[in-house]
Amino acid sequence: MRVVIADDSAVVREGLRHALEAHGHEVVGTATDGDELLDCVRREQPHVALVDIRMPPTHTSEGLDAASAIRERSPDVALLVLSQYVDADYALTLLRENPARSGYLLKDRITDLTALLEAIERVGRGETVVDTELVELLLHRPASESRLAQLSDRERTVLALLAEGLSDRAIAGRLWLTQKTVETHVRHILAKLSLPPDADHNRRVLAVLTFLRSQG
Amino acid sequence: MTAHRARSASVGLGVVTLALWVMDVVRQLQLGIADSGLAFYAVAGVAGVAVAVAVARQPGREQMGLVLAGWLFVSVLDDLSVDWPVSRTATTGWMLAHGLAPAAYGLMVLAYPSGRVRARSERALVGLAVAFGLVWMGAPLLFFHPGDCTTCAPRVSSLLYTATTFDYLPVGQASWAAFIALGVWFVALLVRRLRAAPPGARATLLPLGLAVFFAAAEFVAQRIVWLGGWAGPLPALDWVDRANALVLPLAIFAGLAAIRSRRGPLGDLVVELGRARPGEVGRALSGTLGDPTLELALWLPDRRAFVDEAGEPVDTTSIPDGRALTVIGPPGEPLAALIHDDRLLGQRSLLEAAGSAGRLALENTRLQAELRAQLAELRASRARIVETADAERRRLERDLHDGAQQRLLALGLALQLLRDGSGDHELLVQAEAELQTALRELRDLARGIHPTILTEQGLLAAVRSLGDRAPVPVRVEGPDERYPLALETAVYFVIAEALANVAKHAGASTTVVSLARENGRLRVEIADDGCGGALARPGGGLQGLVDRVATVGGTFAIASERGAGTTLQVEVPCES
Repeated sequence: MRVVIADDSAVVREGLRHALEAHGHEVVGTATDGDELLDCVRREQPHVALVDIRMPPTHTSEGLDAASAIRERSPDVALLVLSQYVDADYALTLLRENPARSGYLLKDRITDLTALLEAIERVGRGETVVDTELVELLLHRPASESRLAQLSDRERTVLALLAEGLSDRAIAGRLWLTQKTVETHVRHILAKLSLPPDADHNRRVLAVLTFLRSQG
Repeated sequence: MTAHRARSASVGLGVVTLALWVMDVVRQLQLGIADSGLAFYAVAGVAGVAVAVAVARQPGREQMGLVLAGWLFVSVLDDLSVDWPVSRTATTGWMLAHGLAPAAYGLMVLAYPSGRVRARSERALVGLAVAFGLVWMGAPLLFFHPGDCTTCAPRVSSLLYTATTFDYLPVGQASWAAFIALGVWFVALLVRRLRAAPPGARATLLPLGLAVFFAAAEFVAQRIVWLGGWAGPLPALDWVDRANALVLPLAIFAGLAAIRSRRGPLGDLVVELGRARPGEVGRALSGTLGDPTLELALWLPDRRAFVDEAGEPVDTTSIPDGRALTVIGPPGEPLAALIHDDRLLGQRSLLEAAGSAGRLALENTRLQAELRAQLAELRASRARIVETADAERRRLERDLHDGAQQRLLALGLALQLLRDGSGDHELLVQAEAELQTALRELRDLARGIHPTILTEQGLLAAVRSLGDRAPVPVRVEGPDERYPLALETAVYFVIAEALANVAKHAGASTTVVSLARENGRLRVEIADDGCGGALARPGGGLQGLVDRVATVGGTFAIASERGAGTTLQVEVPCES
């Protein structure tokens, strides 16, 4: 896949380039801040943009702004945003407009090359990716227990994977279940949480995330 | 005597006096000796008693009212017609009243306005006057022979009047001499009191002074007529005599009214100043003095200048025509100044009194202004300290994120690649270098948060270590002593920041840091030979030093003339 990398740390930039190229991806450009990233994306039209949230000049959430701009100008480019800390607001800001082809990962994941590569593949295919740690965080907040208490343990596990953006088939594969069973679980979960049974998988992910977030 | 009892006694005496007066008037009418003056006599008596009671009813004037009523009582007894059917009691009463009348008169005049005679000389005079009265009239009582009295009824002649012969002449002559001496003394005391009175208070003494003059003139005139042997008292003098009963109470009443009218606005001022918020003292003074153009200027000893209540400078050197300046407080160290209409100078005493009354409020206003300034400074410095701490945390977070964390991530990536077999020897070397750099960065960061050497080996060693790392050569002097940790930390960071400033701005070739303990204070001096011209601007780096020093109660001074290097002096209290 054609990838651009935006990160203000040269060490990380070069490390990622090395790792991705070692696994068959083509790094077509790197950027150190939002403006460079936009230029690079416009020029190269990559499949995936790997974006660090924190970049100059303020080192806060420039990456999110750049991602939003890319969404507007080049909607076909998949975005994988890397965040220093898990933050539900960041994730929802990114996914809200169009959850498809969007991913939110904890930056630490770059040391878990398998997970990083899988996430790149998935957003590239048009899926939604949400970091496990964020889902864990949202699922285990004490206040959300009451609504989630109606779910069985198995349903809970399915919900977590659903929130991470996995498709029904991927969930089935992960849990050694048939896709039919997973679909039944998902239907029950959505009904119990009063979420609309949305045909679009990525919208379902966003709805689940928004629900978990609102349980604060 | 309590105020309440004095008031009751005044009213009681007034009623008795009135009753005697009425009886006397009725008696004179019965005897057909009433003349045209009688009506006036009656009116004067009633009015006099009314004034005495009115005075006694004023809060704080009960004693004065009582003294006044007492004099009227003695006077009416004294004035009672000798044509009363004579009894021993009446004669005794009349004679004693006659003898004590001068003392009562003196007491009333000298007790004005408080109702009490306080000065020792005045008390002595009143005492002597009483003694004189008792001897003057008491002696004849003891030795009086009824035979001498042509009008006395026979039943008088028993018991009390025992003496068979009594030569009254020497007693009379001695009495006169004593009476005149007492009179002269009395006048002298009055004159002294008038002279000693402050200019403004003279107006309150004047009515009584005039009344006394009026009475004295009448008395002297009566004696001249008598000594001259002119037949019968002159009717005009009788009128004057009768008027006395009214003139004196009225004089006292007028004097008290004058005191009240002067105290009124000042009393209001005191009340108003008590309620005045800072910034309103000038307005209160302006209202009291009746000058809407009045400006108040407060003296600030630190600045040696006058400012208004808002803290703006006031020019007191050039006063325009028609305006005048009155300074409140001792000339060397004024408290405040009033700039006002110069016609107010005619009421100098009122100006001074208002200044005195306002003194406390002015002092308060000044102290409050100073306090508010200090509080504002404290709040500002606290806010700055919090801001600095926040900025410091942000810087640490940034350093961690941009430094060690990124390097460790890169290291993680490299290890992944090496494990997968897609890395080579060069990547391994790179990874090791990243690890070394990350460790160094963490170490530097930790020292920035808190240098271990400071805790373990003390301020001097820590400052030496700072100097070793500084780009400009640093010489450190001072004893190797330990201080409380908070103090060591504050001083350490002050020196660290100062050295950073030297490196950044001074262009110095050498810096000397000296530490010394003197009189329970740690003195630190950081002197460089750079370009100078450093200023403690708000928000500047030096302001941060000032705040840090202030947290441990220290003082900060800077000498930084352009071209002459910069010397920072920090003094911090340290218990020994």
